[in-house]
Amino acid sequence: MLRFLTPLPGFAVMLLTPSLAIAGDLELHVVDQMGKPVADAVVTVKPAAGLPNRPITFPWPLTMVQQNIAFNPHVLIVPVGATVPFPNKDNVRHHIYSYSKPARFNMKLYGQSEVPTYTFRTAGAVALGCNIHDRMSGFIKVVDTPYAAKSGHDGTVRISGMPGGNATVTIWHPMARTPDNEMVMQVALGASGVVSKPVSLTLRGM
Amino acid sequence: MARPSALFRALIPRRWLSSLSRKITLFYGALTVITIVLIVMGMRYGIASYAEATINQEMASGSAVFERMAAMRYDQMQQAGRVLSHDFGFRTALATGDAPTIISALDSLKQRQGIEQAMVVGLDGSIVGYAGHLNKDFRDDLWKALDGGAQKGVVQLGSKTYAAVAEPIEAPTLIGWVIFANPVGSDELTDIARLTALDMKPRIMRVADLGHGIPVTKAGSNSAALRNVDGEQMLVQAIPVTNFLPNSHMGPRVLVLEYSLSKAMNGYMPLIWLVVGLGVVGVALAVAGSWYLARRLTRPITALNQAAQRMSMGEHAHVTIETGDELGRLATSFNRMVDDIAERERQITHLAFHDALTGLPNRTLLRQHMALWLAHATPAKQRALMCLDLDNFKSVNDTLGHPTGDALLCEVTSRLIATCGDSFVARLGGDEFAVVMDDDLRSPTALARDILAAISQPFLVNGHRIVIGTSVGLAMAPTDGDTPMDLLKNADLALYRAKSDGKAGYRYFETGMDAEAQERRLMEIDLHDALARSELELHFQPLFGLSQNRVTAFEALLRWNHPMRGSVSPVNFIPVAEETGLIIPIGEWVIREACRIAASWPEDIRVAVNVSPVQFRSNSLNTIVLQALAASGLEPGRLELEITESLFIDNVEGTLASLHSLKAMGVRVALDDFGTGYSSLSYLRAFPFDKIKIDRSFIVDLLSHDGATAIIKSITSLAEALGIETTAEGVENVDQLDILRDQGCSHIQGYYFSRPMPASEIGRLLKLNTENRQNAA
Repeated sequence: MLRFLTPLPGFAVMLLTPSLAIAGDLELHVVDQMGKPVADAVVTVKPAAGLPNRPITFPWPLTMVQQNIAFNPHVLIVPVGATVPFPNKDNVRHHIYSYSKPARFNMKLYGQSEVPTYTFRTAGAVALGCNIHDRMSGFIKVVDTPYAAKSGHDGTVRISGMPGGNATVTIWHPMARTPDNEMVMQVALGASGVVSKPVSLTLRGM
Repeated sequence: MARPSALFRALIPRRWLSSLSRKITLFYGALTVITIVLIVMGMRYGIASYAEATINQEMASGSAVFERMAAMRYDQMQQAGRVLSHDFGFRTALATGDAPTIISALDSLKQRQGIEQAMVVGLDGSIVGYAGHLNKDFRDDLWKALDGGAQKGVVQLGSKTYAAVAEPIEAPTLIGWVIFANPVGSDELTDIARLTALDMKPRIMRVADLGHGIPVTKAGSNSAALRNVDGEQMLVQAIPVTNFLPNSHMGPRVLVLEYSLSKAMNGYMPLIWLVVGLGVVGVALAVAGSWYLARRLTRPITALNQAAQRMSMGEHAHVTIETGDELGRLATSFNRMVDDIAERERQITHLAFHDALTGLPNRTLLRQHMALWLAHATPAKQRALMCLDLDNFKSVNDTLGHPTGDALLCEVTSRLIATCGDSFVARLGGDEFAVVMDDDLRSPTALARDILAAISQPFLVNGHRIVIGTSVGLAMAPTDGDTPMDLLKNADLALYRAKSDGKAGYRYFETGMDAEAQERRLMEIDLHDALARSELELHFQPLFGLSQNRVTAFEALLRWNHPMRGSVSPVNFIPVAEETGLIIPIGEWVIREACRIAASWPEDIRVAVNVSPVQFRSNSLNTIVLQALAASGLEPGRLELEITESLFIDNVEGTLASLHSLKAMGVRVALDDFGTGYSSLSYLRAFPFDKIKIDRSFIVDLLSHDGATAIIKSITSLAEALGIETTAEGVENVDQLDILRDQGCSHIQGYYFSRPMPASEIGRLLKLNTENRQNAA
């Protein structure tokens, strides 16, 4: 049961770091077994050429807001080591918890006055729940690669600036009906240009 | 299918059905039995249908109850599962892999909620909390089911069947499932079954084990199937149950409800037996009632039948009238008929033994009476039988008519009864009567005389004064015969003798009479053939005219030359011929033959022919005379018919009319045997006879009696005065001739002059006669 009282200092740095990649792009179109576009599918790419030796940054805020009795965003991609604040913008209190192996914590009943934080040190998927509100569900995907993004409502996810060559592409989705909710595939990335692939996921509860 | 009547005949002996009451009883008994059987069958069918419908309904509602109960129990367990799965501590324990905590939590929940089995299946397929062993296949199946979203259903755990629910555990994502399971063995189902009206033996079984023909239906539907299980009618309903493991090797399963219709029907059996019992009573009542009714109906018929049988045996059988209905009226009619028949029988019997006209016993009854009466007759004490025959009764019938004749017979009967006292009077037929004497006071002779006297008194009948007489023949029993027939025959012979003796008298039977009767009968037979055999012959006796001194005529006299008897005297056979009626053909032959022969004689010689009264009365005489004259060519004036006075006794007017018609033909008529019998001068006045023949008895007396001459004298004077010729018969000597000549007799006939001769000798006689006369002249 950890309580994060303050945000991590490096948080803003990562947010501001621009991507320097100049290599090829990967564009996946994620659909479910019914052929419908799947949003919030997290795609991580690990090129065989290796990862750049620098801190991982993403262009989205690494904050998990609770608003309208829901996690916002529903799925948040954070790099390993990121400290994520959990601000409560509802006027009810929440009790956020996670029993996921990468990060187990409890943030017992807190309101707007305090913002707990948690530093994710292990890559993996962290399922968030609220002990008060069972229907609240959110995910934090802790990644150890800068090549990560999630699909939009049109099911399209695009990752740019990756070196060419083979790459292990992992597609994760909280509802994916696969071990660890993820699907792994090898993709040959071009030195430049876009490799576009359709991805079909079998989702639970469909 | 045989007709009912044929069936009856096959089952029941025909003899048994010969009674109407049995038939009626059997018919109504059978009708009632059929009715009762139909009622029972209908009732059974109705009950079965009703029971089936009711059970069906009950099963439908029962199955609905089952489903509701099952849902309720599932809900309860799900509720518990949901509570558990959302318990933060439990989730924490599960998320952190704290197995002992999980097990203890499950145990405490099992106790609290009364759940037998509780376990947690992790998302990775690990199972925590189940005490027994679950093999790998099962675990895989279980995980797949849970992963496929299985929430509840029936599952086999170990040897028991459980109803299980699964509730996902999310922390917050799905990390596993909590499974609660309660057994649904027979005990549990039976507990539920108690909630329904019927014990439907609920059990869960595989569809594969379900018998053929049982449809799997939705709970609550009325579609139980009827199935025969070991002779028991079972209503079975199969409701599908959800398998927890969709791919279970058990296959689809069903909840089977069944109820024995036979058992349900058994509940109604007392009712059916009650109806059957009442039916038996009803049949007994119907049989008894129709038997009683049929007996009531047939008893009078039987009585009538018996009475009819008794009647046919001659009894006077009356039937007792008990009712006023149709049968009573039939009995009344029957009794009336019996009386009428008895009365008619009496009349017929009376007619059979009595004479319809006089009411006297007839010949049959006479014989019967005589048979009894003869038993009392002994030689020492003889008894008399009289046969009576009225004299001249025929002429009464002929002249006054039969009604008068019948009335006369009745009068005669009255006098006979009055005269005979206690003796038995019978009418033998016609004018014949018989008297069986049973009178000790009078002798038979006295009674015969009394009878003669009584009948000889004049009768006054229908305004006619009638004088008749009777003849009586007597036969004595047992001397003259010991049987009715012999006695009657002999009395009849005596009567005949009395008749031939001159009527109005009585005669006793004598032994000779019988022989005479025989003789007569033989003569009758021979006489019958005499004409055909040409045994008859005419002889002629000349009549000498004293004034002419020559033969003036011949009297034709009949001779019978019998081949055995020789010449038979007319005295003997003429009466026989008259009695038998043979005189008619014989008489005809005589007239024709006489005419034929006479035609050859000189024209001044006539032929005289005797006419019998019997012949005279026959209507054919005139015709015969005409034919004989025509055939011979003889002049009518040369034929002289001789008749006797007796003709006038019976029927004066008829005789006169016949005589006149003969006379009109020109035939001469002579009165024969004048002076005997009922000679009456009035005849001479009434009819213009051509000749009188003075009877030979007067001629015989001429020489011995002085008065005889005077009589001859007076006769000849009278005849002369009336213009009638006279012939004296039987002249045998010259003395007689002289007297007759002196007294004025015109003709003589007799042996003195000539015996009768054959026709062949006549010519010689006539020649001699002429010569004599010429010589004399």
